Amino acid sequence: MRARRSQMRGINDPGPAWAALSYAVLGFWAFVVLFPLYWLAITSVKLPIQVNDGPDYLPFVDFDPSLHAWRYIFVDLFVDTARPYLNTVVVALCSSVVALIFGSMAAYGLSRLSYRPRLSTIASFIAGVAVAIVGVVRLGVPWQVGLAIGLAVSVLLALALRRRFTRALKNQDIAFWLISQRMLPPVAVVLPIYVLFQQVGLLDTRFALAVTYIAANIPIVVWLMRDFFDSIPLELEEAAVVDGCSRYRIFWSIVLPLSKPGLASTFILVLIMAWNEYLFALFLSSANAQTLPLTVAAQNATRGPQWWYMSVLIIIMILPVSALALLLARYITRGLLIGAVKG
Amino acid sequence: MKQWKRLGLAVALSAACGALGMAGPAAAGKYDGVTVNVVTFTGPQIAEPLQRRAPDFQKLTGAKINVITVPFSDFYTKLLSDFATGTNSYDAAVFAPQWMVDFIEPGYLQDITAQVKSDAALKWDDIGPFFRDFSATYNGKVYTIPLDGDFQMVYYRSDLLKQANMAPPKTWDDYIAIAKAFQGKDLDGDGKPDYGSCIAKKRSAQSYWMVLSVAGGFLQSKGTGQGLFFDTDTMAPLVNNEAFKAALKVYVETTKYAPPDEINLDVGDTRALFTSGRCALTLDWGDIGTLAIDPTTSKVNDKVGAVVLPGSPKVLDRASGKLVDCTKDTCPYAIDGINHAPFAAFGGWSGAINAAKDQKIKDAAYDFLSYMSQPEQANVDVTIGKTGFNPYRVSQFENLDLWIKAGMSKAAAENYLGAIKDSLNSPNMVLDLRVPQNQRYEQVVLDTAVARLLAGELDIDKTAAEIETGWNEATEELGKDAQLKAYRAALGLK
Amino acid sequence: MQYDVAAAPGRLIEARRRPEFTSWADRVAPAAFIMPAVLTILALSIFPLIVSVYLSLARIKFEKGGVTVTFIGLLNYKKLLFGSQQFHLIGTLMPITPLGWVFQAIVAGLLILWLVTAVRRGAGVLGLVGRLLVAVAAIALALLFTSAGAEGGQLGTIGVTLTYVVIGVCVQYGLGLALAMLCVQNLRGRGFFRVVFFLPMMITPVGVAYTFRMLTDTTKGPFSPIWQGLGLSDFAWAATAWGARVAVMIGDAWQWTPFMFIVLLAAIEGQPREQVEAAHVDGANHWQIFRFITWPAIMPVTITLILIRVIEAFKIVDLPNVLTNGGPGIASESMTLHAYSTWRALDIGGSAAIAYMLLFIVTFFCTAFVNLVRTRPPARAAGAQR
Repeated sequence: MRARRSQMRGINDPGPAWAALSYAVLGFWAFVVLFPLYWLAITSVKLPIQVNDGPDYLPFVDFDPSLHAWRYIFVDLFVDTARPYLNTVVVALCSSVVALIFGSMAAYGLSRLSYRPRLSTIASFIAGVAVAIVGVVRLGVPWQVGLAIGLAVSVLLALALRRRFTRALKNQDIAFWLISQRMLPPVAVVLPIYVLFQQVGLLDTRFALAVTYIAANIPIVVWLMRDFFDSIPLELEEAAVVDGCSRYRIFWSIVLPLSKPGLASTFILVLIMAWNEYLFALFLSSANAQTLPLTVAAQNATRGPQWWYMSVLIIIMILPVSALALLLARYITRGLLIGAVKG
Repeated sequence: MKQWKRLGLAVALSAACGALGMAGPAAAGKYDGVTVNVVTFTGPQIAEPLQRRAPDFQKLTGAKINVITVPFSDFYTKLLSDFATGTNSYDAAVFAPQWMVDFIEPGYLQDITAQVKSDAALKWDDIGPFFRDFSATYNGKVYTIPLDGDFQMVYYRSDLLKQANMAPPKTWDDYIAIAKAFQGKDLDGDGKPDYGSCIAKKRSAQSYWMVLSVAGGFLQSKGTGQGLFFDTDTMAPLVNNEAFKAALKVYVETTKYAPPDEINLDVGDTRALFTSGRCALTLDWGDIGTLAIDPTTSKVNDKVGAVVLPGSPKVLDRASGKLVDCTKDTCPYAIDGINHAPFAAFGGWSGAINAAKDQKIKDAAYDFLSYMSQPEQANVDVTIGKTGFNPYRVSQFENLDLWIKAGMSKAAAENYLGAIKDSLNSPNMVLDLRVPQNQRYEQVVLDTAVARLLAGELDIDKTAAEIETGWNEATEELGKDAQLKAYRAALGLK
Repeated sequence: MQYDVAAAPGRLIEARRRPEFTSWADRVAPAAFIMPAVLTILALSIFPLIVSVYLSLARIKFEKGGVTVTFIGLLNYKKLLFGSQQFHLIGTLMPITPLGWVFQAIVAGLLILWLVTAVRRGAGVLGLVGRLLVAVAAIALALLFTSAGAEGGQLGTIGVTLTYVVIGVCVQYGLGLALAMLCVQNLRGRGFFRVVFFLPMMITPVGVAYTFRMLTDTTKGPFSPIWQGLGLSDFAWAATAWGARVAVMIGDAWQWTPFMFIVLLAAIEGQPREQVEAAHVDGANHWQIFRFITWPAIMPVTITLILIRVIEAFKIVDLPNVLTNGGPGIASESMTLHAYSTWRALDIGGSAAIAYMLLFIVTFFCTAFVNLVRTRPPARAAGAQR
């Protein structure tokens, strides 16, 4: 196949005019992307008066750079920078990995298997929750007891109603329910989630943040990976099933390796969302579990934004994620092996 | 017998402390093993001096001070939800006293009246009367220790005004005249036209304080206890009247002699513009004084003057809603027939203590806050711009040496401190709104209406009506009696 | 396209090792795959959902001993839709100009045409009802925009948010697709472009907002000489309604185009290579290959991508907050920012009400989108390869 490709100008080899146009457009957009980052970089080495006085574009030519901001962030405030940095890395990585695992599994299920959750089960579940809420709020029952009672009610009701009502939902409905979790703006649920974690004593822990991010990001993983799984031909798996492989083995050994580009790009996307999240991090942390987005936003204090410190923080925030994206780039850009399987 | 021994020991130790020149409470080791979590917003302002002096305090008393910082914009909500849900992860907070009411009414803050009165080292009477009696006090009890004095003044380019033979503005008409004279001229020598006045009019930033600074001189004339916002008997808003509309007119007028994007400038931007020499006038808190002398932030060192907030020769007659001339009757505190009402916007950062904690922690927290406020520490900190602490003690503006040592010229120090003294000693200083959920009145209703006025969506009459309706609605929803009671308590009225 | 393979292995138990375990494990496989995700989400979403719904129907007060929550029914919603906050959420509506009526007529006409076509194509009752609802919503929106656009009118946060979403996502998708198509080619240095284009998304949204605030500053930003050179030194984009909105949309496009770009890139590179090459050998030009092979191949991903991005775009808050705080007036304020500032002022019930209005709008929008798009003949890659 490679030989054939080199013999003629492939579809992906542009002619000279097209190449020139492509370079122009790509170069323009690269400038659009890089200029703000350049501006951030030089702002991080400017003194306040140099920032306020008007635009200075070139260090050493227009202005004398100074390392005061870097020194402040890394020397004066070392612990207050290192701790959020470590927290961000740990929380983002762990939550993204777990979200990827749970989400890919669910995506595979939704793609290949048929789910038919009965409406009666869902109704029983809601009834159980309602009972628990009423018990805890109105009757003052401790929440652990309420939870247990609610669970019992759900199970009993579900068993009782199974035969009578058989109408069920489909995979598409489950998928829609998953993505609808992302529709409500976080500001509406941040206080209840704060209370939730306070009741279980997990405030100001990285665990609480990680769990929140996992729950928040699973829908995205599911939707993105479902498309990737859908594009993998079923013949591969059918063959494996005939050979007697279990579902889990098929998932692990056949489907996942074929989805590496999808997994890599989804992982990066979810990592970025967890890395950069602000509101939950603000409320679920106080002294120990603070993350970097808080430090960036905090640079806007009563004196107005301190651009120089903010620039330093933004730059050090991008570096690890960029490095990871570079590492994973080769997975993302590798074409699928569909041709190899077919040919 | 034991009592005498203890007394003798205490006297000896205190004498030893005094002899060693250590100002501060109690003997070393008093709070060994105690950690105090103090929360404030991310600095360096306010947080830096706390962090810097924490080790000294630890050496003195053994208490470890842990300064936790949160982003400023969400500090209030985070603090309140921490107290309200009973999480209590903070032992003390350095916050804005304007928020005090929302914390005192539900009982989250410790009443420190007794401690303050018996604390000799704190030198309570040295603190400016306004900050003592109104800012730190609610319903007759003291809840906070002031660490900073926040009130607004007008700053002007003294070199430019001298050249043009103009006096610093005494009324808002003067202010507009000066702004008009300098708008479009080149004020910083770079050949580009500059601006007459720079006021932070950005929505949801500081604009609502700026407009209240303008309104103060028109609305309040009989002393702090008269209040600026509501009628003290009926809780009727004082906005739909001639006086407030006149203030709005001034506020809109200044936009004509200002940068074109002034309605999107917050206080950081206007300070930047003023200290880089591009504005002739600005309205701001005390920070410009110390920012102007810092070479890393300023091009106008020694060219800055400060003056007490301009006032008005006519004030509001509350019965009729009309403006009447200033007489001895209507304006007892007028200076040269002009009623000035310096505005303690926001209130000045102060420290308060969580009432739900153990006594030992509360005592340690109190001692730390007292330590920070004592003249030996505070008088140095207010001269350093980075600390964000502005003068609030009488001793801070009577002694020029510290300021000169920090880099101010004698003339500039006298001028700056003189303006501060005039403001601080004014019996007609305006107390910022302190009713429960005051942010709703100021930030949601007032700020949105003024932003729409500046954007041209509303005219002045409609704006005043909107604010009145919005405030009345908020009062109805929160309970008129409760709000009136709180308003009167904040003003020290029974 | 669901292929229930779960049943199959069960029939093969006789021939396998460890039959009981394998069959049991395979029987619970469906549950095992989906339960971790579902349980995690349920654990964290039920309680907050119920509490926030209740809060939107209540008023909160902080009093001695805790927080008092008073049930007030739909008052918060009433205030937003009909009461003192109507100017904020819906806007200031003025009588519609004649030109506006012409526009309305065109919109109505197009919608009727669409409905008629659907009937002719034989849509079911449910489909028709759904389409009717969408048509009604579209007309209501058109009315909103024309009457707010009239002299003296002002668009409220609903209209502003919809503007951000529709224009924003279209622009971002178009840009992302164009860049992905260009980057797929065998150009030297395309690896560099791929990495560079990905960078904006990595910056925390608050950071992007502040960066753009720096860049768009007309006095000390880098473009101020250009601004002044063009004679615009007296014009402040932040002082005009559409100027502020455009600034927000530019920042949004800068930040989120990489999202479209990276997913579309992976999808375009995943299209069936032999089909493309076969078509190329047969003499098809770029446009035909795009239209008949690439576009159907990336259609499923496009739907997912747009859905995800639309849901996120409705929640835009950092850019309007930092750039203009919703100004001038309320011209650039999004619904989430509205909810956020209401929440900060401790009107938690009001804030929850705004959030639920947003949820209602997003759900309607996404349901309509998913259903309308799904009625097209599925052109999934797997199907094309069968």
